[in-house]
Amino acid sequence: MMSELVIQTRNLNKRYRGRSAVSNLNLEIAKGEIYGFLGPNGAGKTTTIRMLLGLIRPTEGSVQIFGKDLNKEKLNILRRVGSLVEYPSYYGHLTAVQNLETVRRILDVPRSRIDEVLDIVSLTKESKRAVKGYSLGMKQRLGIASALLGNPELLILDEPTNGLDPAGIQEIRELIREMPQRHGITVLVSSHLLGEIEQMASTVGIIREGEMVFQNTIQNLKDRASEGIRIVVSEPEEAIRVAMDQGFEGTMQQGMLQFPNLNDAQVALLVKRLVDSSHDVYRVEEKKKSLEDIFLQVIGEGGIS
Amino acid sequence: MKRFLRLLSAERVKIANIQIWLLVLLSPILAVLIGFEIDVSNDIGLWERLLLEMGMAHGLLFLPILSGLFAAFICRYEHSGGGWKQLLVLPVSRSSVYMAKFTVIAVLLAITQILFLAGVFLVGWMKGVATPIPWEFMMRSFFGGWVACLPLAALQLAVSVMWNSFAAPLALNVVFTIPNMLVINSERIGPYYPWAQPLLSMLPNSHSFGAFNLALSNLMIVVLGSFIVFFIAGWIAFRLKEV
Repeated sequence: MMSELVIQTRNLNKRYRGRSAVSNLNLEIAKGEIYGFLGPNGAGKTTTIRMLLGLIRPTEGSVQIFGKDLNKEKLNILRRVGSLVEYPSYYGHLTAVQNLETVRRILDVPRSRIDEVLDIVSLTKESKRAVKGYSLGMKQRLGIASALLGNPELLILDEPTNGLDPAGIQEIRELIREMPQRHGITVLVSSHLLGEIEQMASTVGIIREGEMVFQNTIQNLKDRASEGIRIVVSEPEEAIRVAMDQGFEGTMQQGMLQFPNLNDAQVALLVKRLVDSSHDVYRVEEKKKSLEDIFLQVIGEGGIS
Repeated sequence: MKRFLRLLSAERVKIANIQIWLLVLLSPILAVLIGFEIDVSNDIGLWERLLLEMGMAHGLLFLPILSGLFAAFICRYEHSGGGWKQLLVLPVSRSSVYMAKFTVIAVLLAITQILFLAGVFLVGWMKGVATPIPWEFMMRSFFGGWVACLPLAALQLAVSVMWNSFAAPLALNVVFTIPNMLVINSERIGPYYPWAQPLLSMLPNSHSFGAFNLALSNLMIVVLGSFIVFFIAGWIAFRLKEV
Protein backbone atom coordinates (compact mmCIF):
# COMPACT_ATOMS: atom_id res chain seq x y z
CA MET A 1 0.00 0.00 0.00
CA MET A 2 1.42 3.35 -1.03
CA SER A 3 1.30 6.16 1.48
CA GLU A 4 -1.02 9.08 0.81
CA LEU A 5 -0.10 11.07 -2.28
CA VAL A 6 0.11 14.83 -1.97
CA ILE A 7 0.79 15.49 -5.63
CA GLN A 8 -0.24 13.22 -8.45
CA THR A 9 -0.18 14.15 -12.12
CA ARG A 10 -1.60 12.00 -14.86
CA ASN A 11 -0.18 12.19 -18.36
CA LEU A 12 0.68 15.80 -17.97
CA ASN A 13 1.54 17.46 -21.28
CA LYS A 14 2.51 20.97 -22.25
CA ARG A 15 3.16 21.89 -25.85
CA TYR A 16 4.16 25.25 -27.24
CA ARG A 17 3.38 25.53 -30.94
CA GLY A 18 3.91 21.85 -31.51
CA ARG A 19 7.11 21.73 -29.48
CA SER A 20 6.68 19.52 -26.48
CA ALA A 21 7.96 21.03 -23.22
CA VAL A 22 6.55 18.37 -20.92
CA SER A 23 5.21 15.03 -22.09
CA ASN A 24 3.21 12.34 -20.31
CA LEU A 25 4.52 13.24 -16.91
CA ASN A 26 3.27 11.13 -14.01
CA LEU A 27 4.55 12.76 -10.88
CA GLU A 28 3.85 11.05 -7.57
CA ILE A 29 4.81 12.71 -4.33
CA ALA A 30 3.94 11.10 -1.01
CA LYS A 31 3.04 12.93 2.16
CA GLY A 32 5.94 13.93 4.40
CA GLU A 33 8.73 13.37 1.95
CA ILE A 34 11.25 15.67 0.34
CA TYR A 35 10.95 15.05 -3.36
CA GLY A 36 13.90 16.12 -5.47
CA PHE A 37 12.89 17.13 -8.97
CA LEU A 38 16.03 16.80 -10.98
CA GLY A 39 16.99 17.53 -14.54
CA PRO A 40 19.24 19.69 -16.70
CA ASN A 41 18.25 23.29 -17.39
CA GLY A 42 15.47 23.43 -19.94
CA ALA A 43 14.26 19.89 -19.23
CA GLY A 44 10.80 21.10 -18.21
CA LYS A 45 11.09 21.43 -14.43
CA THR A 46 9.84 24.99 -14.19
CA THR A 47 7.13 24.35 -16.78
CA THR A 48 5.91 21.42 -14.68
CA ILE A 49 5.97 23.47 -11.50
CA ARG A 50 4.05 26.29 -13.17
CA MET A 51 1.39 23.76 -14.12
CA LEU A 52 1.28 22.42 -10.55
CA LEU A 53 0.59 25.94 -9.31
CA GLY A 54 -2.02 26.79 -11.92
CA LEU A 55 0.12 29.51 -13.50
CA ILE A 56 -0.20 27.86 -16.90
CA ARG A 57 -2.71 25.34 -18.16
CA PRO A 58 -1.62 21.88 -19.22
CA THR A 59 -2.25 21.04 -22.88
CA GLU A 60 -3.37 17.61 -21.70
CA GLY A 61 -3.55 15.63 -18.49
CA SER A 62 -4.57 16.42 -14.95
CA VAL A 63 -3.03 17.60 -11.70
CA GLN A 64 -4.27 16.36 -8.36
CA ILE A 65 -3.04 17.98 -5.16
CA PHE A 66 -4.24 16.75 -1.76
CA GLY A 67 -6.41 14.36 -3.77
CA LYS A 68 -8.32 17.24 -5.36
CA ASP A 69 -8.42 18.34 -8.97
CA LEU A 70 -6.40 21.53 -9.40
CA ASN A 71 -8.69 22.70 -12.16
CA LYS A 72 -11.77 22.59 -9.97
CA GLU A 73 -10.47 23.60 -6.56
CA LYS A 74 -7.56 25.82 -7.41
CA LEU A 75 -8.00 28.46 -4.71
CA ASN A 76 -8.61 25.93 -1.92
CA ILE A 77 -5.52 24.01 -2.97
CA LEU A 78 -3.32 27.09 -3.34
CA ARG A 79 -4.30 28.19 0.16
CA ARG A 80 -2.53 25.10 1.48
CA VAL A 81 0.57 25.40 -0.75
CA GLY A 82 3.59 27.65 -0.30
CA SER A 83 5.84 28.22 -3.27
CA LEU A 84 8.89 29.92 -4.62
CA VAL A 85 9.12 29.96 -8.42
CA GLU A 86 12.44 31.00 -9.96
CA TYR A 87 13.90 34.22 -8.64
CA PRO A 88 11.53 35.83 -6.18
CA SER A 89 10.80 39.48 -6.77
CA TYR A 90 9.85 41.99 -4.15
CA TYR A 91 8.71 45.50 -3.70
CA GLY A 92 12.20 46.90 -3.25
CA HIS A 93 11.06 50.07 -1.50
CA LEU A 94 9.33 48.02 1.20
CA THR A 95 10.97 46.25 4.13
CA ALA A 96 10.82 42.49 4.63
CA VAL A 97 7.98 42.93 7.10
CA GLN A 98 6.00 45.11 4.68
CA ASN A 99 6.59 42.69 1.82
CA LEU A 100 5.29 39.84 3.95
CA GLU A 101 2.41 42.05 5.03
CA THR A 102 1.17 42.27 1.42
CA VAL A 103 1.03 38.46 1.34
CA ARG A 104 -0.37 38.19 4.88
CA ARG A 105 -3.33 40.37 4.03
CA ILE A 106 -4.25 38.05 1.19
CA LEU A 107 -3.77 34.87 3.22
CA ASP A 108 -5.49 36.34 6.25
CA VAL A 109 -3.17 34.86 8.90
CA PRO A 110 -2.41 36.59 12.23
CA ARG A 111 0.24 39.29 12.19
CA SER A 112 2.40 37.31 14.63
CA ARG A 113 2.99 34.77 11.83
CA ILE A 114 5.28 37.28 10.10
CA ASP A 115 7.68 37.24 13.07
CA GLU A 116 7.52 33.46 13.19
CA VAL A 117 8.50 32.95 9.55
CA LEU A 118 11.20 35.61 9.74
CA ASP A 119 12.60 33.71 12.70
CA ILE A 120 12.52 30.40 10.82
CA VAL A 121 14.62 31.86 7.99
CA SER A 122 16.77 33.93 10.41
CA LEU A 123 15.90 37.31 8.96
CA THR A 124 14.54 38.89 12.13
CA LYS A 125 17.48 41.26 12.50
CA GLU A 126 17.23 42.54 8.93
CA SER A 127 13.46 42.73 8.82
CA LYS A 128 13.18 46.52 9.07
CA ARG A 129 15.45 47.22 6.10
CA ALA A 130 14.27 47.96 2.56
CA VAL A 131 14.55 44.77 0.55
CA LYS A 132 16.44 46.40 -2.33
CA GLY A 133 19.58 46.28 -0.18
CA TYR A 134 19.33 42.54 0.43
CA SER A 135 21.82 40.00 -0.87
CA LEU A 136 20.58 37.24 -3.16
CA GLY A 137 20.69 34.75 -0.32
CA MET A 138 18.61 36.99 1.92
CA LYS A 139 16.07 37.52 -0.85
CA GLN A 140 15.87 33.78 -1.34
CA ARG A 141 15.29 33.28 2.39
CA LEU A 142 12.62 35.97 2.35
CA GLY A 143 11.02 34.04 -0.52
CA ILE A 144 10.92 30.93 1.64
CA ALA A 145 9.53 32.96 4.55
CA SER A 146 6.79 34.21 2.27
CA ALA A 147 6.08 30.64 1.12
CA LEU A 148 5.77 29.53 4.76
CA LEU A 149 3.52 32.38 5.80
CA GLY A 150 0.22 30.60 5.25
CA ASN A 151 1.23 27.48 7.26
CA PRO A 152 1.34 25.37 4.07
CA GLU A 153 1.14 21.58 4.01
CA LEU A 154 3.09 21.49 0.77
CA LEU A 155 6.09 23.56 -0.19
CA ILE A 156 7.10 23.87 -3.85
CA LEU A 157 10.55 25.36 -4.35
CA ASP A 158 11.95 25.89 -7.82
CA GLU A 159 15.76 25.97 -7.82
CA PRO A 160 15.91 27.61 -4.37
CA THR A 161 19.70 27.54 -4.24
CA ASN A 162 20.33 28.88 -7.74
CA GLY A 163 22.93 31.63 -7.73
CA LEU A 164 23.78 31.32 -4.05
CA ASP A 165 27.26 30.99 -2.59
CA PRO A 166 28.20 27.76 -0.75
CA ALA A 167 27.25 29.17 2.66
CA GLY A 168 23.89 30.31 1.33
CA ILE A 169 23.29 26.93 -0.28
CA GLN A 170 24.08 25.23 3.01
CA GLU A 171 21.59 27.44 4.89
CA ILE A 172 18.76 26.84 2.46
CA ARG A 173 19.48 23.12 2.45
CA GLU A 174 19.27 22.87 6.23
CA LEU A 175 16.09 24.89 6.17
CA ILE A 176 14.47 22.54 3.67
CA ARG A 177 15.68 19.43 5.43
CA GLU A 178 13.90 20.29 8.64
CA MET A 179 10.53 20.99 6.99
CA PRO A 180 9.04 17.48 7.15
CA GLN A 181 10.02 16.65 10.74
CA ARG A 182 9.70 20.04 12.41
CA HIS A 183 6.78 21.48 10.50
CA GLY A 184 5.12 18.44 8.94
CA ILE A 185 5.47 19.90 5.46
CA THR A 186 5.87 17.89 2.27
CA VAL A 187 8.48 19.45 -0.01
CA LEU A 188 9.00 19.44 -3.76
CA VAL A 189 12.37 20.95 -4.57
CA SER A 190 13.82 21.22 -8.04
CA SER A 191 17.45 21.49 -9.03
CA HIS A 192 19.77 20.78 -11.91
CA LEU A 193 22.46 19.55 -9.52
CA LEU A 194 22.32 16.00 -8.24
CA GLY A 195 24.65 16.79 -5.33
CA GLU A 196 22.09 19.32 -4.15
CA ILE A 197 19.17 16.93 -4.21
CA GLU A 198 21.12 13.97 -2.89
CA GLN A 199 21.69 15.75 0.40
CA MET A 200 18.07 16.68 1.02
CA ALA A 201 15.69 14.43 -0.84
CA SER A 202 14.25 11.06 0.07
CA THR A 203 12.77 10.51 -3.39
CA VAL A 204 13.95 11.73 -6.76
CA GLY A 205 12.24 12.29 -10.05
CA ILE A 206 14.57 12.83 -12.96
CA ILE A 207 13.23 14.64 -15.99
CA ARG A 208 14.90 14.82 -19.36
CA GLU A 209 13.52 16.65 -22.40
CA GLY A 210 10.13 16.83 -20.74
CA GLU A 211 9.92 13.14 -19.91
CA MET A 212 10.26 11.44 -16.57
CA VAL A 213 13.11 8.96 -16.89
CA PHE A 214 13.45 7.89 -13.27
CA GLN A 215 11.21 8.19 -10.24
CA ASN A 216 12.06 6.30 -7.09
CA THR A 217 13.82 6.60 -3.76
CA ILE A 218 17.31 8.02 -3.65
CA GLN A 219 18.36 4.67 -2.12
CA ASN A 220 17.05 2.86 -5.19
CA LEU A 221 19.10 5.18 -7.37
CA LYS A 222 22.15 4.44 -5.25
CA ASP A 223 21.55 0.68 -5.49
CA ARG A 224 21.73 0.99 -9.22
CA ALA A 225 25.22 2.32 -8.78
CA SER A 226 26.51 -1.23 -8.20
CA GLU A 227 28.23 -2.68 -11.21
CA GLY A 228 28.93 -6.04 -9.64
CA ILE A 229 31.23 -7.88 -7.27
CA ARG A 230 34.95 -8.26 -7.77
CA ILE A 231 36.84 -11.06 -6.04
CA VAL A 232 40.63 -11.38 -5.83
CA VAL A 233 41.93 -14.89 -5.18
CA SER A 234 45.21 -16.81 -5.25
CA GLU A 235 44.55 -18.88 -8.42
CA PRO A 236 42.01 -17.03 -10.54
CA GLU A 237 41.90 -19.46 -13.50
CA GLU A 238 40.95 -22.41 -11.35
CA ALA A 239 38.67 -20.28 -9.21
CA ILE A 240 36.61 -19.10 -12.15
CA ARG A 241 36.04 -22.75 -13.12
CA VAL A 242 34.85 -23.53 -9.60
CA ALA A 243 32.45 -20.60 -9.80
CA MET A 244 31.14 -21.56 -13.23
CA ASP A 245 30.54 -25.14 -11.99
CA GLN A 246 28.36 -23.65 -9.24
CA GLY A 247 26.34 -21.74 -11.83
CA PHE A 248 27.81 -18.25 -11.29
CA GLU A 249 28.14 -16.24 -14.48
CA GLY A 250 31.52 -14.64 -14.11
CA THR A 251 34.46 -13.42 -16.13
CA MET A 252 38.13 -12.95 -15.43
CA GLN A 253 39.62 -9.54 -15.95
CA GLN A 254 43.19 -8.55 -15.06
CA GLY A 255 43.53 -11.55 -12.79
CA MET A 256 40.36 -10.74 -10.86
CA LEU A 257 36.97 -12.48 -10.91
CA GLN A 258 34.03 -10.29 -11.94
CA PHE A 259 30.40 -11.08 -11.23
CA PRO A 260 27.52 -8.83 -12.19
CA ASN A 261 24.57 -8.37 -9.87
CA LEU A 262 25.09 -10.78 -6.99
CA ASN A 263 22.94 -10.46 -3.93
CA ASP A 264 24.34 -10.92 -0.40
CA ALA A 265 23.42 -14.62 -0.15
CA GLN A 266 25.00 -15.37 -3.50
CA VAL A 267 28.21 -13.60 -2.51
CA ALA A 268 28.36 -15.58 0.75
CA LEU A 269 27.77 -18.87 -1.06
CA LEU A 270 30.39 -18.15 -3.71
CA VAL A 271 33.02 -17.23 -1.13
CA LYS A 272 32.22 -20.37 0.86
CA ARG A 273 32.63 -22.59 -2.23
CA LEU A 274 35.93 -20.94 -3.09
CA VAL A 275 37.24 -21.41 0.42
CA ASP A 276 35.99 -25.00 0.49
CA SER A 277 38.03 -25.74 -2.64
CA SER A 278 41.10 -24.34 -0.90
CA HIS A 279 41.35 -20.97 -2.64
CA ASP A 280 42.74 -18.06 -0.71
CA VAL A 281 40.28 -15.18 -0.94
CA TYR A 282 42.16 -11.90 -0.61
CA ARG A 283 39.47 -9.35 -1.30
CA VAL A 284 35.73 -9.18 -2.05
CA GLU A 285 34.73 -5.76 -3.27
CA GLU A 286 31.75 -4.05 -4.80
CA LYS A 287 32.49 -2.04 -7.89
CA LYS A 288 30.50 1.20 -7.82
CA LYS A 289 29.71 3.97 -10.20
CA SER A 290 29.30 7.36 -8.64
CA LEU A 291 25.78 8.73 -8.35
CA GLU A 292 26.85 11.49 -10.69
CA ASP A 293 27.78 8.86 -13.31
CA ILE A 294 24.32 7.38 -13.03
CA PHE A 295 22.64 10.73 -13.25
CA LEU A 296 24.59 11.58 -16.37
CA GLN A 297 23.78 8.15 -17.78
CA VAL A 298 20.09 8.67 -17.05
CA ILE A 299 19.84 12.12 -18.56
CA GLY A 300 22.13 11.13 -21.40
CA GLU A 301 20.34 7.99 -22.49
CA GLY A 302 16.89 8.59 -21.12
CA GLY A 303 16.61 5.67 -18.76
CA ILE A 304 18.35 3.16 -16.57
CA SER A 305 19.00 -0.21 -18.12
CA MET B 1 -15.85 39.77 -2.11
CA LYS B 2 -13.84 39.12 1.03
CA ARG B 3 -10.94 37.94 -1.08
CA PHE B 4 -11.20 41.04 -3.24
CA LEU B 5 -11.06 43.31 -0.20
CA ARG B 6 -8.04 41.47 1.12
CA LEU B 7 -6.29 41.92 -2.21
CA LEU B 8 -7.17 45.58 -2.20
CA SER B 9 -5.67 46.07 1.23
CA ALA B 10 -2.52 44.26 0.05
CA GLU B 11 -2.31 46.61 -2.93
CA ARG B 12 -2.58 49.53 -0.56
CA VAL B 13 0.61 48.43 1.21
CA LYS B 14 2.41 48.22 -2.12
CA ILE B 15 1.69 51.80 -3.16
CA ALA B 16 3.32 53.22 -0.07
CA ASN B 17 5.71 54.71 -2.59
CA ILE B 18 6.70 58.33 -2.70
CA GLN B 19 6.86 58.38 -6.53
CA ILE B 20 3.19 57.57 -6.92
CA TRP B 21 2.17 60.38 -4.58
CA LEU B 22 4.42 62.82 -6.41
CA LEU B 23 2.58 61.87 -9.60
CA VAL B 24 -0.75 62.44 -7.90
CA LEU B 25 0.35 65.90 -6.74
CA LEU B 26 2.06 66.98 -9.97
CA SER B 27 -0.90 68.10 -12.04
CA PRO B 28 -2.89 69.85 -9.27
CA ILE B 29 0.23 71.83 -8.28
CA LEU B 30 0.84 72.91 -11.89
CA ALA B 31 -2.82 73.88 -12.17
CA VAL B 32 -2.53 76.07 -9.09
CA LEU B 33 0.57 77.77 -10.54
CA ILE B 34 -1.35 78.45 -13.75
CA GLY B 35 -4.30 79.66 -11.68
CA PHE B 36 -2.27 82.37 -9.99
CA GLU B 37 -1.62 83.98 -13.38
CA ILE B 38 -5.31 84.31 -14.18
CA ASP B 39 -6.69 87.83 -14.27
CA VAL B 40 -9.77 88.04 -12.04
CA SER B 41 -10.66 91.73 -12.54
CA ASN B 42 -13.74 90.78 -14.57
CA ASP B 43 -15.77 88.65 -12.16
CA ILE B 44 -18.47 87.30 -14.44
CA GLY B 45 -18.42 83.46 -14.36
CA LEU B 46 -15.17 83.59 -12.49
CA TRP B 47 -15.27 80.06 -11.08
CA GLU B 48 -16.02 78.66 -14.51
CA ARG B 49 -13.12 80.60 -15.94
CA LEU B 50 -10.75 79.40 -13.24
CA LEU B 51 -11.75 75.80 -13.88
CA LEU B 52 -11.46 76.19 -17.63
CA GLU B 53 -8.05 77.75 -17.64
CA MET B 54 -6.59 75.66 -14.85
CA GLY B 55 -8.15 72.51 -16.30
CA MET B 56 -6.82 72.86 -19.83
CA ALA B 57 -3.41 71.25 -19.32
CA HIS B 58 -4.83 68.96 -16.64
CA GLY B 59 -7.57 67.51 -18.84
CA LEU B 60 -5.76 67.70 -22.14
CA LEU B 61 -2.45 66.15 -21.11
CA PHE B 62 -2.13 65.14 -17.50
CA LEU B 63 -5.26 63.11 -16.92
CA PRO B 64 -4.78 60.87 -19.99
CA ILE B 65 -1.08 60.43 -19.29
CA LEU B 66 -1.61 59.81 -15.57
CA SER B 67 -4.15 57.10 -16.39
CA GLY B 68 -1.36 55.27 -18.16
CA LEU B 69 1.32 56.09 -15.60
CA PHE B 70 -0.73 54.77 -12.69
CA ALA B 71 -1.50 51.57 -14.60
CA ALA B 72 2.16 51.10 -15.43
CA PHE B 73 3.23 51.85 -11.86
CA ILE B 74 0.95 49.39 -10.14
CA CYS B 75 2.01 46.60 -12.52
CA ARG B 76 5.66 47.55 -12.34
CA TYR B 77 6.73 45.25 -9.53
CA GLU B 78 4.74 42.37 -10.94
CA HIS B 79 6.55 42.80 -14.25
CA SER B 80 10.04 42.87 -12.82
CA GLY B 81 11.25 39.36 -12.10
CA GLY B 82 8.57 36.87 -11.19
CA GLY B 83 6.13 39.26 -9.56
CA TRP B 84 3.02 38.00 -11.33
CA LYS B 85 3.99 34.47 -10.36
CA GLN B 86 4.47 35.47 -6.74
CA LEU B 87 1.05 37.06 -6.67
CA LEU B 88 -0.87 34.44 -8.64
CA VAL B 89 0.38 31.42 -6.69
CA LEU B 90 -1.51 32.88 -3.74
CA PRO B 91 -5.13 31.86 -3.29
CA VAL B 92 -6.50 34.67 -5.44
CA SER B 93 -8.53 34.53 -8.61
CA ARG B 94 -7.20 36.33 -11.64
CA SER B 95 -10.41 38.30 -11.92
CA SER B 96 -10.13 39.70 -8.43
CA VAL B 97 -6.48 40.60 -9.01
CA TYR B 98 -7.50 42.46 -12.16
CA MET B 99 -10.36 44.22 -10.40
CA ALA B 100 -8.13 45.18 -7.46
CA LYS B 101 -5.49 46.66 -9.78
CA PHE B 102 -8.12 48.58 -11.67
CA THR B 103 -9.68 49.85 -8.47
CA VAL B 104 -6.34 51.20 -7.29
CA ILE B 105 -5.89 53.14 -10.56
CA ALA B 106 -9.43 54.51 -10.32
CA VAL B 107 -8.87 55.62 -6.73
CA LEU B 108 -5.57 57.31 -7.59
CA LEU B 109 -7.29 59.18 -10.43
CA ALA B 110 -10.10 60.21 -8.10
CA ILE B 111 -7.59 61.57 -5.61
CA THR B 112 -5.91 63.51 -8.41
CA GLN B 113 -9.28 65.00 -9.34
CA ILE B 114 -10.08 65.92 -5.74
CA LEU B 115 -6.71 67.64 -5.39
CA PHE B 116 -7.25 69.49 -8.65
CA LEU B 117 -10.63 70.72 -7.48
CA ALA B 118 -9.11 71.70 -4.16
CA GLY B 119 -6.54 73.64 -6.18
CA VAL B 120 -9.30 75.54 -7.98
CA PHE B 121 -10.92 76.43 -4.66
CA LEU B 122 -7.57 77.46 -3.24
CA VAL B 123 -6.83 79.83 -6.12
CA GLY B 124 -10.35 81.25 -5.96
CA TRP B 125 -10.08 81.82 -2.24
CA MET B 126 -6.65 83.42 -2.44
CA LYS B 127 -7.77 85.71 -5.21
CA GLY B 128 -10.79 86.64 -3.15
CA VAL B 129 -13.44 85.51 -5.63
CA ALA B 130 -16.69 86.67 -4.08
CA THR B 131 -19.30 84.87 -6.20
CA PRO B 132 -20.71 81.66 -4.67
CA ILE B 133 -19.20 78.39 -5.78
CA PRO B 134 -21.27 76.77 -8.55
CA TRP B 135 -21.30 73.32 -6.93
CA GLU B 136 -23.28 71.46 -9.52
CA PHE B 137 -20.99 72.66 -12.26
CA MET B 138 -17.90 71.78 -10.25
CA MET B 139 -19.12 68.31 -9.37
CA ARG B 140 -20.08 67.56 -12.95
CA SER B 141 -16.62 68.54 -14.03
CA PHE B 142 -15.00 66.47 -11.29
CA PHE B 143 -16.98 63.30 -12.04
CA GLY B 144 -16.98 63.81 -15.80
CA GLY B 145 -13.20 64.03 -15.92
CA TRP B 146 -12.80 61.06 -13.62
CA VAL B 147 -15.20 58.77 -15.45
CA ALA B 148 -13.70 59.71 -18.82
CA CYS B 149 -10.31 58.53 -17.56
CA LEU B 150 -11.55 55.05 -16.71
CA PRO B 151 -11.55 53.70 -20.30
CA LEU B 152 -7.96 54.90 -20.68
CA ALA B 153 -7.04 53.29 -17.38
CA ALA B 154 -8.71 50.07 -18.53
CA LEU B 155 -6.82 50.10 -21.83
CA GLN B 156 -3.54 50.84 -20.09
CA LEU B 157 -4.08 48.08 -17.58
CA ALA B 158 -4.91 45.73 -20.45
CA VAL B 159 -1.70 46.50 -22.34
CA SER B 160 0.30 46.55 -19.13
CA VAL B 161 -0.68 42.99 -18.30
CA MET B 162 -0.35 41.84 -21.91
CA TRP B 163 3.02 43.31 -22.79
CA ASN B 164 5.06 42.51 -19.70
CA SER B 165 6.81 45.83 -19.94
CA PHE B 166 6.83 49.04 -17.99
CA ALA B 167 7.77 51.47 -20.73
CA ALA B 168 5.94 50.24 -23.82
CA PRO B 169 2.36 50.88 -22.61
CA LEU B 170 3.44 54.31 -21.42
CA ALA B 171 4.89 55.18 -24.80
CA LEU B 172 1.68 54.02 -26.45
CA ASN B 173 -0.36 56.22 -24.15
CA VAL B 174 1.73 59.31 -24.81
CA VAL B 175 1.59 58.71 -28.56
CA PHE B 176 -2.20 58.73 -28.41
CA THR B 177 -2.41 61.67 -26.02
CA ILE B 178 -0.29 64.11 -28.01
CA PRO B 179 -2.78 64.42 -30.94
CA ASN B 180 -5.37 65.60 -28.39
CA MET B 181 -4.50 69.21 -29.12
CA LEU B 182 -5.67 68.79 -32.70
CA VAL B 183 -8.41 66.29 -32.03
CA ILE B 184 -10.40 68.48 -29.63
CA ASN B 185 -10.80 71.05 -32.36
CA SER B 186 -12.35 68.55 -34.68
CA GLU B 187 -16.11 68.16 -34.57
CA ARG B 188 -15.89 64.83 -36.35
CA ILE B 189 -13.14 62.92 -34.52
CA GLY B 190 -13.18 64.67 -31.14
CA PRO B 191 -16.34 63.09 -29.79
CA TYR B 192 -15.06 59.56 -30.51
CA TYR B 193 -11.42 59.87 -29.51
CA PRO B 194 -11.00 58.26 -26.05
CA TRP B 195 -7.97 60.33 -25.09
CA ALA B 196 -9.85 63.56 -25.67
CA GLN B 197 -12.75 62.61 -23.40
CA PRO B 198 -11.26 63.68 -20.03
CA LEU B 199 -10.95 67.27 -21.21
CA LEU B 200 -14.26 67.28 -23.08
CA SER B 201 -16.08 65.90 -20.05
CA MET B 202 -14.44 68.28 -17.62
CA LEU B 203 -14.97 71.54 -19.38
CA PRO B 204 -18.28 73.31 -19.68
CA ASN B 205 -19.94 72.91 -23.05
CA SER B 206 -20.53 76.60 -23.36
CA HIS B 207 -17.91 76.79 -26.05
CA SER B 208 -19.16 76.49 -29.53
CA PHE B 209 -16.03 75.41 -31.33
CA GLY B 210 -14.68 71.99 -32.24
CA ALA B 211 -15.85 69.04 -30.20
CA PHE B 212 -16.71 71.06 -27.11
CA ASN B 213 -20.28 71.61 -28.09
CA LEU B 214 -21.53 68.20 -27.07
CA ALA B 215 -24.24 66.90 -24.83
CA LEU B 216 -23.06 65.06 -21.74
CA SER B 217 -25.07 61.98 -22.67
CA ASN B 218 -23.23 61.78 -25.96
CA LEU B 219 -19.88 61.89 -24.20
CA MET B 220 -20.90 59.24 -21.73
CA ILE B 221 -21.94 56.82 -24.47
CA VAL B 222 -18.46 57.05 -26.00
CA VAL B 223 -16.84 56.79 -22.59
CA LEU B 224 -18.94 53.86 -21.46
CA GLY B 225 -18.58 52.03 -24.79
CA SER B 226 -14.81 52.31 -24.88
CA PHE B 227 -14.61 51.41 -21.20
CA ILE B 228 -16.50 48.15 -21.69
CA VAL B 229 -14.43 47.16 -24.71
CA PHE B 230 -11.05 47.92 -23.10
CA PHE B 231 -11.92 46.53 -19.71
CA ILE B 232 -13.27 43.22 -20.97
CA ALA B 233 -10.40 42.79 -23.43
CA GLY B 234 -7.86 43.30 -20.63
CA TRP B 235 -9.74 41.10 -18.23
CA ILE B 236 -9.92 38.19 -20.67
CA ALA B 237 -6.28 38.63 -21.66
CA PHE B 238 -5.26 38.53 -18.01
CA ARG B 239 -7.29 35.41 -17.30
CA LEU B 240 -5.61 33.61 -20.20
CA LYS B 241 -2.13 34.98 -19.55
CA GLU B 242 0.58 32.37 -19.20
CA VAL B 243 2.58 33.36 -16.17
